[in-house]
Amino acid sequence: MSAEEEHEGGSPYTESPVIITTVRAVSPFILTYGIFITLHGANSPGGGFQGGVVMASVAVLFGFAFGIGPTREWIDGRVLLGIVAAGIFVFAGIGLLAPLLNGNVLQLDVMPIAVKWSIEIIEVAIGAIVAGVVAGLFFVLSQGTADNGGDGA
Amino acid sequence: MSFTLEIALAVFVVLTAVSAALLRDVLGAIVVFAAFSLGMSIIWVILQAPDVALTEAAVGAGVMGVLFLLTIAKTARPSYDKVVESVNFKAVAVVGVLLLLLLSTVPALPEVGSPDSPAVQERVDGELTPYGYYVQMTPEDTGVQNAVAAVLVFYRGFDTFGEAVVVFSALVGVLVVLGREVER
Repeated sequence: MSAEEEHEGGSPYTESPVIITTVRAVSPFILTYGIFITLHGANSPGGGFQGGVVMASVAVLFGFAFGIGPTREWIDGRVLLGIVAAGIFVFAGIGLLAPLLNGNVLQLDVMPIAVKWSIEIIEVAIGAIVAGVVAGLFFVLSQGTADNGGDGA
Repeated sequence: MSFTLEIALAVFVVLTAVSAALLRDVLGAIVVFAAFSLGMSIIWVILQAPDVALTEAAVGAGVMGVLFLLTIAKTARPSYDKVVESVNFKAVAVVGVLLLLLLSTVPALPEVGSPDSPAVQERVDGELTPYGYYVQMTPEDTGVQNAVAAVLVFYRGFDTFGEAVVVFSALVGVLVVLGREVER
């Protein structure tokens, strides 16, 4: 990943040991914090939306430190889309499970598990959706359109 | 929380908001806008809305700025003779009158965190208000402590599902517009 290759997307990339070291040091903590906010949202401020954005910001930091192109190759776009789709399907699945158990759509207290756990599962699903979408928007916008600029993926 | 800090934050937020609107240079406006969001997130903490503060800090001050920066990196950056936009004083007068009208209602608001505020009465004439219901019944109905999360997922789950789908649609929309449906 030389500096020259990184000019695709119009964002000049400078390899800086300060940024790389800082990102290496803080990113595990940021990712942990994002997961914590997502999982602990039921009992403290936070939840899937906030936690998802914090988790996705790790991808943004990697983009700053190592260049957006290499980061995008490292985090496969199909994996991101899969995470987002899985989140939607889990949320919708839980919502549509309730009518089968003689409840209304998304009525969580008819579930065989405690409401608390349904809420946790949905928070994790929301976290997956938001994290995948924010990271995906970051990579897609850095690439630009398929027919002008970019690497013509 | 000290009154001085609140005044300083309010001045900071108003100044950054006005300069984000006035700056001709888009890059400068984006940076000032991120600073505005950071100030707002601290104000949310003072107003005891930590859920909103987290969102504002992560989305407004963090990700939005990055996405805006990526977008303007695709555009040419013209050099400007003037630093600020020219101001339409008629519009400023209209906005000023509207602002005064709105500010005139502020003295009628209850104090921040006041237990007498109508919005936080748990019972009116012995009946549970919606606020009282959510605050009192959340642990019993759901077993979670954060009433915001309970409203979001349990009481108003359908709205939240809509929100999640809107976020998903945003990504799909950008992929379609940029012609990058499939990553190869």
